[in-house]
Amino acid sequence: MSAAESLTAALHWQSWAVFRRNALVFLRNWRTAIIPPAMEPVIFFVAFGVGFSGYIEDLDYHGAQINYATYVAAGLIAYTGFGTPYYEALYAAYVRMFYQKTWDGILATQVELPSVVWGEILWAAVRGMVNISIVCAVIAVFDLIGVVDVNVAFLVLMPFLGFIAGCAFASFALIFTAIVPAIDHMNYPVFLIGWPLSLVSNTFFPIDPQNALLRALWQINPVYQLAEAARGLLVFGNPGPHLVGLVGSTLLFLVPCTVLSTRLTRRRVLGE
Amino acid sequence: MAAAILEARGLTKSYGGRVVVDHLNLDCRPGSVLGLLGPNGAGKTTTLRMLYGFVPPDEGAISYEGMEFSNHRSEAKRMIGVCTQEDSLDYDFTVAQNLFIYASYFRPRVDNLDRRVAELLERFELTPYADASPHILSGGFVRRLLIARSIVHRPRVLFLDEPTTGLDPSARLDAWELIDGMRSDGLAIVLTTHYMDEAERLSDELLVVHEGRDVAHGEPHRVIGDLLGDHVIVIPRHEPARDRIEAWLQGRGAVQVATVLGELRVPVSKDDLLALSSEFEGASWQVRPPNLDDLFIALARRNGRIR
Repeated sequence: MSAAESLTAALHWQSWAVFRRNALVFLRNWRTAIIPPAMEPVIFFVAFGVGFSGYIEDLDYHGAQINYATYVAAGLIAYTGFGTPYYEALYAAYVRMFYQKTWDGILATQVELPSVVWGEILWAAVRGMVNISIVCAVIAVFDLIGVVDVNVAFLVLMPFLGFIAGCAFASFALIFTAIVPAIDHMNYPVFLIGWPLSLVSNTFFPIDPQNALLRALWQINPVYQLAEAARGLLVFGNPGPHLVGLVGSTLLFLVPCTVLSTRLTRRRVLGE
Repeated sequence: MAAAILEARGLTKSYGGRVVVDHLNLDCRPGSVLGLLGPNGAGKTTTLRMLYGFVPPDEGAISYEGMEFSNHRSEAKRMIGVCTQEDSLDYDFTVAQNLFIYASYFRPRVDNLDRRVAELLERFELTPYADASPHILSGGFVRRLLIARSIVHRPRVLFLDEPTTGLDPSARLDAWELIDGMRSDGLAIVLTTHYMDEAERLSDELLVVHEGRDVAHGEPHRVIGDLLGDHVIVIPRHEPARDRIEAWLQGRGAVQVATVLGELRVPVSKDDLLALSSEFEGASWQVRPPNLDDLFIALARRNGRIR
């Protein structure tokens, strides 16, 4: 299986059949499936954004004075855009692969392994879109009541930015899904990677590293690029260089992570 | 005799330097069942996994209807159905939805899918459970659904990996009827099983695999005869002449002596049986035709798994 075959599988009907399967399961249970992931960013927004806002002075954001809740609004979009596909590809995909043997059933058909991987990536990214949409609806309400001050019209673009980055996060997560020996070991990618990455990417507080290496690392971090692209659009109506940064950093993650996760999954599921 | 729809030649697979399948050949024809037999670790499941494309062979070729599997993978996979040993039903869906969703993994799409699903539900007696979760099904009905699902796209070759393992006798008989019905429909079926009666009754042809190699193949009774001889004598635990008989038989080259719950079971030829009768007049034993239990015991002994 070449790297090109792993990557082009995104366009195969088989990948979309796997995506469709996951989407159908979600649509059957959406009323209950949507509440917990939707509540988390809302609670964060109320606790950090609204709660801390009263104690933190306005921030200078590229020359514009914005309140802390407005700063956090874009951060929550990035946090949700990262967390939803990352955890979907970690936990939900692991359950389908290991406990439910859903992948074994699918692989006994015309669907090949790269398509199973891509079906999971695409679905996880779309789950990110769904949750970002909910967060955006909450932000719109807070804008209406004056808690935040954002360009509401640009909120409709946020799920699409989230989808781009979500593909990268899901492909990254699938590497761990393929190698963790048991679901308890998911704590490692969650607490050692997920949490730190979602906190230090200009989501809840600005970081401006002076070290050249750290700055370069920030540039290839899709969470950072997503937060900054979203903030640029919501504050200025312009993502600045971060839209290109988002696409570039996504590709930097997506290409090697998809190839690697496909190889590791093949070893785990098919014993090859 | 119909031409083989599935042909495999020289299949070889190694894991970690150990040869698991060693230059195996097999054919399967429409409307027939090929029974793949062998003790645990013989290479049956690996052979099946190569045949349905889970793992590529290190050497050898597989073709379906003359199409090389490696070059026409998608077309070949469209014509095969796979019922794995493990329960891989999709428990996020109902019984009927399992059939619909499984059909969505094939192209060209299944013609008249609604009718096909209704027909399978009916045939496999799953209609009362169509809208229920598979969680409520008994083991026998889970197996029915797994088999129904594996043929929803109207395959021409069906792989059944130990389809009745864990079923009660009644459910096993039901599964046999279903398998027999699918054979009558013209499906080419490759079956692995540990149940000897199942292999004998269902298989048109047997392929006995031992340490990855073909040790015998052909019609079930011929295979057993070739490997074990004409008869098996069973000498009870308390027969006073038992040790002497065993020594006498071993002296005549009957090396595949097995002890099962104290009974001595020895495959013998017609000539040996006649000689034994005159040598040990008065001793008591039973004579019966050899069965696949004897074959498995013989192979396992050869493999050093049992004494």
